Amino acid sequence: MVESILSWCAFLLYIAACAAAFFYLLTKNARASRFMLTLIGCGLAAHLPTFGIRLAAFWAYPENRWFLPVNNFFGALSYMSFALAAAFYTIEVRRRLGILGAFVLPMVALSLGLAVLLADPALAPLGPRLRSYWLNIHPMVLMTSYAAFTNAFGVALALLIQERQIKSRKPSELCYRLPSLDELDALNGSIIAVTLPILVVGLVMGSVWAYQASGRAWSWDPKETMSLITAAFYAEFLWLRYVCGKRGRIPVYVSMAGFACMLLTFFGAELCSGHHGFLGGK
Amino acid sequence: MKLVCLSWSHRDHACAAREALSSVPVERVLLELKARGFTEAAVLSTCNRFELYAAGSPDQAPRAAALIDALEELAGIPLGEKAEVRDDGAAVDHLFSVASGLDSLVVGEVEILGQVKSGYEKAKIAGMTDKRLNVLFQRALFVGKKVRTETALAAGSLSVPSVAVQLAETIFGRLEGKSVLIFGAGAMAELAAKHLAERGVSKLAVANRTWERAYQLAARYQGEAVKWEAFPAELERADVVISSTGAPNVVLTHSIVHAAVRRRGGRSLFLIDIAMPRDIEESVHKIDGVYLYRLEDLEAIVAKNMASRAQAVAAARRIVDAKTSEFVAWAKSLSTGRERSFKHSENPQ
Repeated sequence: MVESILSWCAFLLYIAACAAAFFYLLTKNARASRFMLTLIGCGLAAHLPTFGIRLAAFWAYPENRWFLPVNNFFGALSYMSFALAAAFYTIEVRRRLGILGAFVLPMVALSLGLAVLLADPALAPLGPRLRSYWLNIHPMVLMTSYAAFTNAFGVALALLIQERQIKSRKPSELCYRLPSLDELDALNGSIIAVTLPILVVGLVMGSVWAYQASGRAWSWDPKETMSLITAAFYAEFLWLRYVCGKRGRIPVYVSMAGFACMLLTFFGAELCSGHHGFLGGK
Repeated sequence: MKLVCLSWSHRDHACAAREALSSVPVERVLLELKARGFTEAAVLSTCNRFELYAAGSPDQAPRAAALIDALEELAGIPLGEKAEVRDDGAAVDHLFSVASGLDSLVVGEVEILGQVKSGYEKAKIAGMTDKRLNVLFQRALFVGKKVRTETALAAGSLSVPSVAVQLAETIFGRLEGKSVLIFGAGAMAELAAKHLAERGVSKLAVANRTWERAYQLAARYQGEAVKWEAFPAELERADVVISSTGAPNVVLTHSIVHAAVRRRGGRSLFLIDIAMPRDIEESVHKIDGVYLYRLEDLEAIVAKNMASRAQAVAAARRIVDAKTSEFVAWAKSLSTGRERSFKHSENPQ
């Protein structure tokens, strides 16, 4: 009950932060920007205790003790949204690029919104196959990389808009408000360059876990396949951007394709995946 | 509140009074007023205006005529006729408008804010400010900044070279460490070079068909003259290229630019063509990471900026009006003994 109320509070605060971010983007009102930061801060503060409460409820089942409750959609989405907001706070705000809030915060709100509106928060004992210390590492590492990629996607959106504005030769007011093309390009590239190894490490951990559990390191189930394609797209982006030195829209589109695959990995592959279902590990 | 403002501004086209006043050092004016028993006064003296703000005791305003007398003695010519005299609320409103750039010849210009600040600092050094003028000028600076950050009054540049610099900043961010290549050594190229040099570009290279002129222009901005034949190699290193040669044909063709881009490792290239006839082939704009702006593109942006400044005047006016009544209410509250406070959290970034 308390968990649900706090989650809703955090959700509404994130929505309000989005509204403030858009207001800042349109009016450049400095108060809106500070208000946005306060709202994210409050949202994170309301959000954080829900994990503690959830953990306590999860651990009420003795077999779940010491494992993290990331085996269902609610827990995963809620964690994603928290990680995304925290990543935005540390990456963009530190670099004084808070104006990118309008591109990133909607995804924070959407992620938590899906959790509170659609996902089932009910907890259940873990199936025996999931009771491994890997459960605390493998999904957490991957979801952290997803949160960082989502930030990169927000930056890429801003980058495309900025590139289009400058190519059009008729830049609008927005063009002068957004960070410069080179800053956005460097940020997009560096987030992906740091995050891709994290994704790969997460995948390797998964295959080690699978090998220990079933003797097969890779079973080509849809989620595994999609995650490999995700990694391939991001690697292709880094190749195009830094090895071939390509600029403009094409590398950005490739990184966005990576993001689309990441979404499919997270949501789509769910429907037809065996041991990767968020259903307690059949 | 007892405040008087005398001003001689650009609205007075016969500028003899302004000229005479601007030749008197501000410090001298302040000393003279102090000697005559005025306690609080500040002077704003720029090439477009001369303004004197004076505050009296809580129940008595300084006499405008006495102030004009003092100034006439210093300037040595009669000034009274041309002076615009404002008091209390109107004076506050005027100072806030001035600081916001609403009263400037080029609406929204930024220099005036610094000039208001330096006028205030001189008065402070001369010991001619007390609580009311201190708060008045600090509020004026605050309002000036607020108007500039929250409205489009100062947004967008109003000249072709400064628009070019602004565009370069939307591509590269800070221009420090960037290098600029100039083709042709004409007046327009020089103006653009001057603007870019002010923004701290690290390297300036000039290529011209006549070596001497390239050398002279480069020398003026601590740049480097390069041989005309060597420009394709220079193109690899440059971030911003300004072209204004008198050449009858295209100088930078698609193939030259394309070849240079391939060796640039994905860095953006900003090309500005202000020559007539054109120096740079139009199709280079299609290359990824290359942005070509022509003179008419820059002029169109200037025209748009002018229009949007005109539209922002109303919004700026609203801020000035609101802040004026806030200040007047504060000044009134001083005499009742229960001083109101300004919201100090409201500082523009």
